[in-house]
Amino acid sequence: MEYQEQLKLQSYLDGELSEAESREVAARLAQDADGVALLAELRQTRQTLAGFERGVKLPEAREFYWSKIQRQIETVERTPAPVASIPLLARLRRFLMPVAGLAVFALLGLVVTHESGGDSGDTSAETAMGDSGAFTYHDYSAGATLVWLSYPAEDETANSEDPDPLD
Amino acid sequence: MTDSDHSSAEDQALVKAAQKGDMAAFEELVARHRDKIYARAYSMMRNEEEAIDLSQEAWVKGWQRLSQFQGESGFGTWMTRIVINLCLDQLRKHKRQRTESIEEMNEETGGVERQMPVITTNPTAGLERGELRQRIDRALGQLSYEHRTVLVLHEFEELEYKEIAKVMGCSIGTVMSRLFYARRKMAALLADVKKENWK
Repeated sequence: MEYQEQLKLQSYLDGELSEAESREVAARLAQDADGVALLAELRQTRQTLAGFERGVKLPEAREFYWSKIQRQIETVERTPAPVASIPLLARLRRFLMPVAGLAVFALLGLVVTHESGGDSGDTSAETAMGDSGAFTYHDYSAGATLVWLSYPAEDETANSEDPDPLD
Repeated sequence: MTDSDHSSAEDQALVKAAQKGDMAAFEELVARHRDKIYARAYSMMRNEEEAIDLSQEAWVKGWQRLSQFQGESGFGTWMTRIVINLCLDQLRKHKRQRTESIEEMNEETGGVERQMPVITTNPTAGLERGELRQRIDRALGQLSYEHRTVLVLHEFEELEYKEIAKVMGCSIGTVMSRLFYARRKMAALLADVKKENWK
């Protein structure tokens, strides 16, 4: 008997054939003693295995087994979901962006207040034309110059459409 | 729900209660189905300790995924699918770790089952239940994990060929040949037919 025929015989036993195929196999079996013997063996093995698992019992007491499961569930539920590690630069950027925004806003406020007062010539504020992100504040009386670079820089902003590595 | 309510409630009601966070309802479900889940793990793993660990893991996963259970199948069936998947993952890990013998590889691909003599008598007739179980147990342990898994999924889980193929990630043809080999080898092992007596 060919291997493919043997597999077909098995499919017949397992009810995996169409009605027409099943009829064909049944007709062939009427003249094939080897096929009948093989079918009987396959069926016998199937019957022997039936019910095997019903006799298998968990070798642990209900309370003990449950206590272990309960502990695991509690542990799993206590553990926070893993947080992907955020690169230092990205964390710094997240912190600095709003701070930088606020600082620029405060400085602009100072400049406007100062200019509307117009009573002192010892301070000035200017924006460097070459870099709209750079802002300079001079306090001549105190002899101090503060250069403020807004963050992120323009070229970085242009790249902000790059996919966030955290997404 | 009180404890007595739990023990008399149907699975469906217990699942609903457990989905709302009732741990005692889930405990009752575990108590009802634990033997079946363990038995399935044991059939696949052939190792008591591993079967206990994997069945426990399955229950923890079951609790975590309880909201996904819609009741299309019985709760026990849903749980057995979880444990089967965990066992398959574990068996694949084992397989990667061990080197197959040449004999095993030949058996996988050589069609040796065609040389096995057909067993015409019932080799297990007259055996006591315990003795029969031991013999089946030993025979299952001598199959490769692929053959055993196909047999377990077909005979115990009662899956169709195409479902087994999906679970195992192989073709239906492979399922058919593995099942055929597994059955024929089981018949030979149960009858204690030695290899030298093959045709």
